[in-house]
Amino acid sequence: MFLEVKNLYKEFGGVVANAGVSFGLEKGEIIGLIGPNGAGKTTLFNCIAGYYKPTSGKVFFKDKDITGWPAHRTSRAGIGRTFQIIRMMERLTVEENVMVGAFCRISDREGARRNAQEILELVNLKEKANAYPTELPIATQKRIELARALAIEPELLTLDEIASGLNPLETIQIIDVLRRIHKEKNLTLLLTEHVMEFIMRISERIIVMSAGRKIAEGSPEEVARKEEVIKAYLGEKYAKGK
Amino acid sequence: MVGEMKAVVRILKDTFSFNDLPISERIAFAAFLVFVFFFPWIVHTAYARAVMIRFLLFAMYGLGWNLIGGYGGQVDLGQAKNVGFGAFATVLMISWWGIPFWITVPVGIIVAVAESFAIAYPMFRLRGHYFAIATLCVALVWQQLFLFWDWTGGARGVELSIRSTPNFTYMQFGAMGYHYFIFALFMAEFLFMNWFRKSKMSYELQAVRDNEDAAASLGINVTWTKVKTYLITAAMGAVGGSFYAVYHLYVDPRCVMQLDLSILIAMTAMVGGAGSVWGPIIGAAMLIPLDMYLGALLGGMGFYGIDFIIYALIIMVIAAREPRGIWGIIERARRRGHVLRG
Repeated sequence: MFLEVKNLYKEFGGVVANAGVSFGLEKGEIIGLIGPNGAGKTTLFNCIAGYYKPTSGKVFFKDKDITGWPAHRTSRAGIGRTFQIIRMMERLTVEENVMVGAFCRISDREGARRNAQEILELVNLKEKANAYPTELPIATQKRIELARALAIEPELLTLDEIASGLNPLETIQIIDVLRRIHKEKNLTLLLTEHVMEFIMRISERIIVMSAGRKIAEGSPEEVARKEEVIKAYLGEKYAKGK
Repeated sequence: MVGEMKAVVRILKDTFSFNDLPISERIAFAAFLVFVFFFPWIVHTAYARAVMIRFLLFAMYGLGWNLIGGYGGQVDLGQAKNVGFGAFATVLMISWWGIPFWITVPVGIIVAVAESFAIAYPMFRLRGHYFAIATLCVALVWQQLFLFWDWTGGARGVELSIRSTPNFTYMQFGAMGYHYFIFALFMAEFLFMNWFRKSKMSYELQAVRDNEDAAASLGINVTWTKVKTYLITAAMGAVGGSFYAVYHLYVDPRCVMQLDLSILIAMTAMVGGAGSVWGPIIGAAMLIPLDMYLGALLGGMGFYGIDFIIYALIIMVIAAREPRGIWGIIERARRRGHVLRG
């Protein structure tokens, strides 16, 4: 198993955000993680990437126990991430933002700059290299986050709501970019999303969470038909009516 | 072996090369160096030479502070304690045992770095204003201890005996000698900063300053990055303190561990432009002559403290207009010109 989450619990002073979540990923998969607001998706991401310490349970990455590793160690081990709320280094240029990521694997500036430029080209941001991130629209900032995460040369990329706030055209563009990097960089992708059109189109397999638990798992078509999923999203009434 | 050679060559190149800077900056800096180098030949008054030495000393303090405060964004208001450690290490070791100056410098550095390391981890649990207040308090505690203890000379301070001939063991000279002595120290720190600004560490530190969560997601150990920077800043402050001791030949905790000094050091970098390599030099060039001429002149006319009002005005204008200081204003103007032309 490439990434394995085993019976993961995360509590915040009595509030249970993740209540015994288990799932696994194979190398090269594209997995979507969906669920209504407050289902515990972001918490799960933060537990995997080392921003939170799980209350109990285990996380294995490439058969290594990485439970409770701090974020800088998981990222060096090969787990890249983007944030739901954009986190830019606003006093650095776009290129420098990506260079910081490249410095994870390389120690000289020219090498880091070359890597950054390659990645910016891959995500169609080459002409924005010398701009400052906060001067740019949200859709572009999301792509900077993606480029930055790619620069650490991850094997697993976790993308927290990369398509939220984007218009339909921008959504299609980001899907193209993600498919391209998935193929070229031989990546495994784990995505969360509210935008159903996006997640249904890109994912090969979907995991559905509700109230901190995994309630369903399967291909996009299977999941969309499941009663529990409809119940979680639309309420009891609609599920029964089906 | 070949790899190591390459790494050394790269470090040397990064230290001495300014090729990545715009030509205008290189010319301005070269002109500045020529001016400073020949200054004692052009200007003969003792006071002006003293102002120049003080300027170079504060530019040096500012360069050191700029690491943690500018590139790292952690406002440290306790740098005076490190200056004090350096100054006391030098003055005490020379006056007690007659140990040569160049041996006392590394001792001062070790004391400053060791103390900073001991407090760094708890300190960096704090952020923003709370961190600033904590650094300020630690420095004040040390000042009180040094005033209280007997072995540090207490409030009387420690004097060094004056030697009649120029002396390289204890670094005592005429004004000319001190000028080149501090100029050499300044250049050493400046070249270090020239290496630093291109280094991996500089990018990591700026990433930590701007967004800690993002930095951690890129493999950066946030706390350790801050701690090691804090230690380098401490070391650079101690070197300045050692110079201070042999230049003034007198040290007491009220002149080297004073809060005023910590604030002036921080202001040097912030007014000039925190987080840029020129910032501390510009800041020191503005504040030190202002302090020494205007303060003396207006104070002599009965307007005591008017220089502090002018300081405060400068800070208010800079904070309101451009938090990145004078260098920030220059860069913004240049960027606008660039956009218009492009």
